[in-house]
Amino acid sequence: MSQPSTGPVVELRHFSKWYGDVVAVADLSFELGPGVTGLLGPNGAGKTTTLKAITGLLHPSQGEALLFGRAISGDPMLYRAIGVVPDGDRLYPRLTVHSYVRLHAELHGLPKPGLAADRAIAEVGMEALAGRRLKGLSKGERQRTKVAGAIVHQPSLLVLDEPMTGMDPGQRARFIELIRLIADAGVTVLVSSHILGEVERLASQILVLVGGRLAASGDFHAIRDLMDDQPRTVVVRAGNARALAPGLIALPTTVAVEVDGDAIQARTRSVEAFATELPRLARAQGITLREIRTTDESLEQVFRYLVGRR
Amino acid sequence: MKGAPVVFRFSLGQLLAGRRLLVTGLLTTFPLVVPALLAAGSGRDPAGFTLDLFRALVLPVLLPVVALTFSTTTLGAEVRDGTVVNLMLKPIPRPGLLAAKYLAGVLATLVVLLPALAAAHLLAARGLGSTTLLAGMLAATTVGTLTYCALGVLLSLLFARALLVGLAYALLWEGALVSVAPSASSMSVRGYAEGVLASILTRSGLDFPARLGPLSATLLALVVTLLALVLAVRRLERMDFR
Repeated sequence: MSQPSTGPVVELRHFSKWYGDVVAVADLSFELGPGVTGLLGPNGAGKTTTLKAITGLLHPSQGEALLFGRAISGDPMLYRAIGVVPDGDRLYPRLTVHSYVRLHAELHGLPKPGLAADRAIAEVGMEALAGRRLKGLSKGERQRTKVAGAIVHQPSLLVLDEPMTGMDPGQRARFIELIRLIADAGVTVLVSSHILGEVERLASQILVLVGGRLAASGDFHAIRDLMDDQPRTVVVRAGNARALAPGLIALPTTVAVEVDGDAIQARTRSVEAFATELPRLARAQGITLREIRTTDESLEQVFRYLVGRR
Repeated sequence: MKGAPVVFRFSLGQLLAGRRLLVTGLLTTFPLVVPALLAAGSGRDPAGFTLDLFRALVLPVLLPVVALTFSTTTLGAEVRDGTVVNLMLKPIPRPGLLAAKYLAGVLATLVVLLPALAAAHLLAARGLGSTTLLAGMLAATTVGTLTYCALGVLLSLLFARALLVGLAYALLWEGALVSVAPSASSMSVRGYAEGVLASILTRSGLDFPARLGPLSATLLALVVTLLALVLAVRRLERMDFR
């Protein structure tokens, strides 16, 4: 896994991209080093645009994208050190898993493309399906095949755009394990997702994009703590909601409580503390709890909160 | 540049994959071979008939249709369905990548056209005055293929409906405008092919009127081909793959 130079693996300097009047991303500046970095943001935040800028598939309207200290635009030889799993199904459906991965090895000019393909297919655990045509594979199998194609030349940087879309929980778990193994081998990994839990399991560092701008970057847990400060709404249905409400108002983490029939809508700074205290209060007053659910934990609202704090 | 030959081989395989070769081969061979068979026993001058067939069917219809179909597909189809990123994300200089795609389009066109042409010639001309005639037709077809394919690849990087644009050029510009304004031949691929054919036939005494002389036809074909390929490379280098 040769690395063309020292310094940051990826560097965006005041990168902007617009199409006519539509700004896709604006003034992005960040650096990435070794390890797994998650690119997090709601749909339409500019994640794919950012990844395509990094991999040279989009040219900057302003600013520049550097890989290993060199501008990716106009320097295709940099692709020797980069593996990319693009968004969508950009595969050749008639090829088999092995011929698809071997094609990638040949396009990279590897001396023994068949052996390289065998190794990459084994790394993603697809040996049993190596002879199957791509059009007959499940979404998760196709994603793993794409990863095999992206790592066949043993790159220093692996970029994955929403790689877990369409996977079931079991496939996700195996996929996360695979990415961890690749990162443990010394590969810098940048992976995008709009699902907080996915990124939490994958990445130690994150970049948060909202509306085409960088809303936060750095250690995952520090940013997660910021996110946790946002009040959340919890809806409770109970046998005697009016009797339960005063106890909930008295909790130190509660911001507001509204009662409507048998439903209580509470705003709390800590869902965990609320969920601990609620059964105790209900039991003390002999009130039956019928339903407890949070309503506004969508990532988009958390992102908006983060942007509001800046 | 190890990747460019791989792109060429892979692209040629894709262009001629499955039933595509059979279908295009039959669609090209049928309209050439059937009239040739019918004419074989009719007492017509074999060389003259073959030449008429080439002038009426191959140059204005089969050559542009087959060449533009393959050349607008070889790269354009992958740009449209997004699979081109598999090639763009590889350490292959863009001129090499485009040249590989272009040559795949050229070879696919020749693989379909030349055997059909040779078969029709064999049936109709039956070896009469035929070496020069066949050489002329093959040379004209090759020059036309090289130029049409360069234009087709460029059009496929500029327009979503590149084939329609190319066919409109071949049918409207070359078919209609050139016939009423002969000076437009200098911007007609068919005119270049006719000029090359005429130069070869004239040497063996066969008459084939052409608006362009051999030198100007060859030079113009070369200039247009190179210009289209250079513009296509520049376009590919500057394209965004959204």
